Amino acid sequence: MGPGADRAEGPNIAPVPITGPSTLVSTPSIVEDPSVDESLPPLLSCDGLVRRFGERVAVDDVGFSIAPGETYGLLGPNGAGKTTTIRMICGLLDADAGRVTVDGRAIDRHHAAERSAIGFVPQDVALYPDLSAAENLRFFGRLYRMRHDELERRVAEVLELVQLDDRADDHVESFSGGMKRRLNIGVGLVHRPRLLVLDEPTVGVDPQSRHAILESVQALGVQGMAVLYTTHYMEEAERICDRVGIIDRGRLVAEGTRRELVAQLAEQDHIRINATGDLVHLAEALRSRPGVVGVVAGDDNLDIVVSEGRRFLPRLIEAAEQHDVTVNSIEVIEPDLESVFLHVTGTALRE
Amino acid sequence: MSRAVHERSRTVPPALLIAGKDLRLRFRDRSAIMLGFVAPIAIATVMSFAFKSSENFHMTVAVVDADGSTLGKALVQALRSDELEDVITVRTAADETTAAKQVRDGDVAAGLVIPDGFTASMTGNDPVSLRVLTNVDTPLAGQVTQSIAAAFAAQIDADRLSVTTAIDGGATAGGSTLGDLVARAARERLPISVTDRSTGARPLKAVSYFAPAMGIFFLFFAISFTARGWFLEAREGTLQRMAAATSLRQILIGKALSVFVYGAASLTTMAVVTTVVFGADWGGVGPAAVLIGAMVFAVVCLTALVIAVARTERQAEGLAAIVVFGLALLGGNFVFVSSAPPLLRKLALFTPNGWAIRGFVDLATGPHTMAAVWQPLAGIMAFSAVVMALTAGLSKRMVLP
Repeated sequence: MGPGADRAEGPNIAPVPITGPSTLVSTPSIVEDPSVDESLPPLLSCDGLVRRFGERVAVDDVGFSIAPGETYGLLGPNGAGKTTTIRMICGLLDADAGRVTVDGRAIDRHHAAERSAIGFVPQDVALYPDLSAAENLRFFGRLYRMRHDELERRVAEVLELVQLDDRADDHVESFSGGMKRRLNIGVGLVHRPRLLVLDEPTVGVDPQSRHAILESVQALGVQGMAVLYTTHYMEEAERICDRVGIIDRGRLVAEGTRRELVAQLAEQDHIRINATGDLVHLAEALRSRPGVVGVVAGDDNLDIVVSEGRRFLPRLIEAAEQHDVTVNSIEVIEPDLESVFLHVTGTALRE
Repeated sequence: MSRAVHERSRTVPPALLIAGKDLRLRFRDRSAIMLGFVAPIAIATVMSFAFKSSENFHMTVAVVDADGSTLGKALVQALRSDELEDVITVRTAADETTAAKQVRDGDVAAGLVIPDGFTASMTGNDPVSLRVLTNVDTPLAGQVTQSIAAAFAAQIDADRLSVTTAIDGGATAGGSTLGDLVARAARERLPISVTDRSTGARPLKAVSYFAPAMGIFFLFFAISFTARGWFLEAREGTLQRMAAATSLRQILIGKALSVFVYGAASLTTMAVVTTVVFGADWGGVGPAAVLIGAMVFAVVCLTALVIAVARTERQAEGLAAIVVFGLALLGGNFVFVSSAPPLLRKLALFTPNGWAIRGFVDLATGPHTMAAVWQPLAGIMAFSAVVMALTAGLSKRMVLP
């Protein structure tokens, strides 16, 4: 199965809009290659990446690849190693071991020319507030050594792309949060990269802007750009990514399409109970029960991944009574990436 | 390889782009304009006026000649002599009350009263004293007048002793009285002489000292806002974004270049404005440019050191403040180093600004030659070399993109 084959299967997947006023990516095409071709060599290839900070291993033997036109999600909680991995891919940080290639060329801190195939969109809005939108785009475009005529054309295209063409000469400090986010992505696109790397671009973003960003990323993938998208929001990864790598404590613990990942659960079920009482002690007690793969206690929820869930339910209720926990509701959830994460890490993504 | 990236040789090097962007942002920032251009000129002007009195001392003295005779006239004549005309202007007053009022009102700096019977007292035994009227606001004028009066009185005593000794020894007075002879002798010599004690060819004007001193002091603030800017860019991600596009070396060169251009523009503007408007002497284009360039280079090195030592914006700000005021105090940016205690004069030689000010003073008081700046230049470059070595040693802990 090729990347992108099961993108529309998830519950939150919407049709990908390429044109239309509500989308961030509206008119000009980003790249010409419209599809993901598995037979092509990967555009990005990471192999055995390791990075230590003192005694702490932040990234431990991480490897994956992204094909042209593919959107790859790196899913993991805060501190899992996503940003460190991205920094190594973008050549901002040297790996202690391992290798990154983009388009067959090795990427490191010392060779800027090779990095021009990558467009980097950092987590924060990395723009100069005292410069206008066009000046920001021009500055970063020139850093990639674009020639004047081509740069001017591209700045106009990107401004239209991010729907800021009418605010081109306004200082960024006068922009709303959503406009800044759009321009932040635009700066990553200005030099026509083949791989766009987005580091949690929706953190702290209002729902409307998040929706616009996700639609734009989907459109970029459809139009042939390879995208590496990190997030700790499971629903974002399910919605826009062709393939997902789950990263936890610096290790890539699972990888595949959504269908492939969910298939790992096999006969396992994800049970969520809403309850009041000492859920932490109840979770500890359940962990030792046969068939239980993972248990995570929240404030008033308990998530359990267990084999043969329906048979487990009476034992669950019995255990709750023993721990003076009042069960308000029980739900058997259709397996999703959250379930997968619980299955492969034993913890919840939200942790 | 991206289609957009080609023909690299025909594009502007990233270091220049980064320097250009930093300078554009800096010149859009009013506080940077104030600190770099307006404030140094304004403060230098104020300090030059404040210290102007010390470069050419002059005072007006009210003189009351109640004696009206030979010695009184001799004293007034001495005060009005060619040798003292640059230092003293004599204004005659009718009586002591009038003179005292003029001194009190600040119309004159001091007063001198030659009492009635001053000449006659030379031949008698009743001493008569010259009286000096002083004002607490002009103590120096009072001291100078006192000194002149004392010197005159001492000369009279010496002359009287000489004449008396000569007459006792058998010399004849030729019909003149003792007083006449003493007065005649007194007129032969001046009671006081003023000599130029400056070691240079020209006296140092206050504005020639404070223009470079204030220019350099405000130049130091470039350390603060550049270091803060580095950490701000690191926090906001623009530094990372630049590093994704180009090498760290290009970023560092670009940042250093922006500080250098800003600093050179600031000091050059200061030099031109204070020379044209206030007549400051910066020592000629070539030597001044060398000192300005060296001083700005030292500031670039200090900026790099602050960035290497600090971990946060706040730390950078604090460290820069210590550097700015520490060097300014030690280097003599606020007071004439020549009038500072010996220890402070020695400590000034451990600072780049101390050397630079010394160089500008040498140029302002001596020949405008490159030979005058070699020693200060060596001092500044030695300081910069030490700072660069420290920065290199600390570079591993530097906050990088």
